[in-house]
Amino acid sequence: MFTVKIWGDRGSMPTPGPDTVEFGGNTSCIEVRCGKRLIIIDAGSGIRQLGDSLMRTDFRAGPIKADIFITHTHWDHIMGFPMFTPIYVPGTELRIRGPITYEEDPLEKVIGSQLSYRYWPVRQEELAAKITYEQIKESTFDLGDGIWLTTKYLNHPILCLGYRFEYRGRSFVTLYDNEPFRNVFPTDPEDPQYDESYAREGEEAAREQNEKILAFMSGADLLVHDTQYTAKEYVSGKVGWGHSSFEHAINAAHKAQVKRLLLFHHDPNRTDTELQELEIFYQAKLRGRTSMSVEMSREGRLYTIDPVE
Amino acid sequence: MAGTSNLLKVRDYIGSMPSLPTTVSKVLEVCNNPKTSPMDLDRVISLDPVLMGKVLKLINSAYYGLGTQVTSLVRAIIMLGVNTVKNLALSTAVLDKFTSNKNFRALNMEGFWRHSLCAGVTAKLIAKKRGVESKALEEYFAAGLLHDIGKIPLNNALAEEYVRTMAVADRDRVSLHVAEKRTLELDHADAGALIAAAWHLDGAISDAARYHHAFSEYQGENRDVVLTVAVANYYASREGIGFSGNLYPDKLPPEVFEELKFRKEALEELEGPVNAEIDKAKVFLRLAQ
Repeated sequence: MFTVKIWGDRGSMPTPGPDTVEFGGNTSCIEVRCGKRLIIIDAGSGIRQLGDSLMRTDFRAGPIKADIFITHTHWDHIMGFPMFTPIYVPGTELRIRGPITYEEDPLEKVIGSQLSYRYWPVRQEELAAKITYEQIKESTFDLGDGIWLTTKYLNHPILCLGYRFEYRGRSFVTLYDNEPFRNVFPTDPEDPQYDESYAREGEEAAREQNEKILAFMSGADLLVHDTQYTAKEYVSGKVGWGHSSFEHAINAAHKAQVKRLLLFHHDPNRTDTELQELEIFYQAKLRGRTSMSVEMSREGRLYTIDPVE
Repeated sequence: MAGTSNLLKVRDYIGSMPSLPTTVSKVLEVCNNPKTSPMDLDRVISLDPVLMGKVLKLINSAYYGLGTQVTSLVRAIIMLGVNTVKNLALSTAVLDKFTSNKNFRALNMEGFWRHSLCAGVTAKLIAKKRGVESKALEEYFAAGLLHDIGKIPLNNALAEEYVRTMAVADRDRVSLHVAEKRTLELDHADAGALIAAAWHLDGAISDAARYHHAFSEYQGENRDVVLTVAVANYYASREGIGFSGNLYPDKLPPEVFEELKFRKEALEELEGPVNAEIDKAKVFLRLAQ
C-alpha cells in the first residue's frame, strides 16, 4: 500500500467558511502511508483532523508512531502542531525532521516553542509523547522498510525542502513552497548596477537549479506542487514571494514526465468556485496535449499510488 | 621551537578572526536595510576578504549540506536566497570581536584591503580576457581576494614578530614570504592554507592562498587559477595599488605568461577597468579617495 491523503492544502492561513468547502481551508498537512509506516508532511492546521482520525483508527492497534517531515518552518506549516492529539498520549513516538534557516535556535525550539504558556496552555515539557527533532539538509535517507527519501532545497524566502519518497518502485514528490529559481542580478545593461559577468553567472546558476528541480521531480507517480498564483498574478507583484504559478507547475511537471500532478497551496483568497473554474480551464487546455493527469488538490481526498508488481 | 609556538598562536587566532574594520559598519547598514539589492549584498561581502572567506565557509559547511562546493557569492545568493546570505554576513560581522589595537601592527589594514581587492578584480579580469567561462569567473575573484589572507593572523597574532619580519625583508631586500620563513618559520602561504582548511575552503581558493608564490611546485587541477592569481598579485604590487607589506616582490618568469597564453603587455589594458572597480568599491564604502 502506498497512499497519500490530503489533510490541508491551503496556503498562508486557514480559511474556514462556505467558500472553501470543496477544496478545503486547512493549511498544509499530508498523510503518506507506505505499508505499515506512517509519514506526515507538515503540521499545518490540517494535522488536527489527522490526529483525531489516527486516534479513532491506528490507536486501537497501539500507540501512534510516525515520521513527520516539515517542509519549512513558516507558520502555516507548523501552526497545527499544538492541536495534534497524539502528542498528549503516552506511548506516541514522533520523529520530526526538517530544515532550519541560519539562526541560533534549533528545530525543537522553532516548532516546539509554540507550546509555551505565552501561546498555549500546555508546555512542551509536559507532553506525554516521545518526540525527537532533527535538522535535515539536502540528502538521501534510508527510512527503512524499503522507503527512501531524497530532499532538495527549494526556492523560498527561508530554507525549504522538497521531499521525494520512493517505495516499491513508485515515487511521491512534494514541491512546495517553491518559486522557480531566477536571476536576481540586473540583466538590463541600462541598469546602473548592471555587471555582465554577474548577469551571466546569475542566469546560469538559476538555470542549473531549475534543472535540478526538474530532475528531482522527474517521472514522479504523484507530485504535489505549489500553485498559489496564476501566471498573471505572479508577474503582478508576487515575484520573490516564494510561490509558483499554475502555468509554471504544469509546464515543469509535464517536462519532467510526471504522471499525476496535484495543484497545491491554494491562495487564501481563492474560493471553491474560482478553483473549480481554474481546474476546468487548465484541464481543457491540456486535453490531448499531455498524458499527465492534472487536478486541484482537495482536502480529505485519498490518492493511491499502486506499487509496481 | 619558535616555529611551533608561532604556529600555535596562528592556529588559535584563526578561530576568531575578525572582519576588516573598513567594512563592518557597511555590512551592518546593508544587511539591516530591507531594500538591499542582491548586488549590494554581494558587493559588501566581497569587499572584505575575511568576511567573504567566512561566508563561503558557512555556505559550504555541513550546515547546508550542499553537494557541490560553492565558491561564488552570486551562486550562493541565487541558491540560498538574499535573506539567508544576509543573515550569514550579519552574524559573521556582528559576532566578530575586535582584537585590541594595543599590539604593534606591521600591516596597514586599509592597504591590505586595497591590495586584496585589486588582486581579486585583476584575477577576474585576466580570466575574462582569456575567455574563461563566466561561471568560473567568481572563483578567480575569490581566489585573488583571499590569496594573502594568511597575512592577517601573522600580523595580528604575531604582531611584534611581524614588525621584525618586515624589517628583515627590508634589510635583506627579499620578498616578504621569504623573510617570514626566516623569522617566523612559517609564511603567509602556510597560514593561508591553515585558514582554508579551518574554513573548509578547498579547491582553487585554498591552492591560490598556498601556492601563489610557489606556483612552480604546484601541478594540481587549479593550476590555471593559481597562475592567474600570481599574475594578479604581481600586477597589484607593481602598480602599487594597496600595500600588503611586500616591498620586494619576486619577478614573474615569462613562462607564467606563456602558459596562461596571456601577453604581459595586456596587463596595461587592465589599468582602467581595475581602477574603475576599486573606485566603485571606494564610493560604496564611502572611503576617502
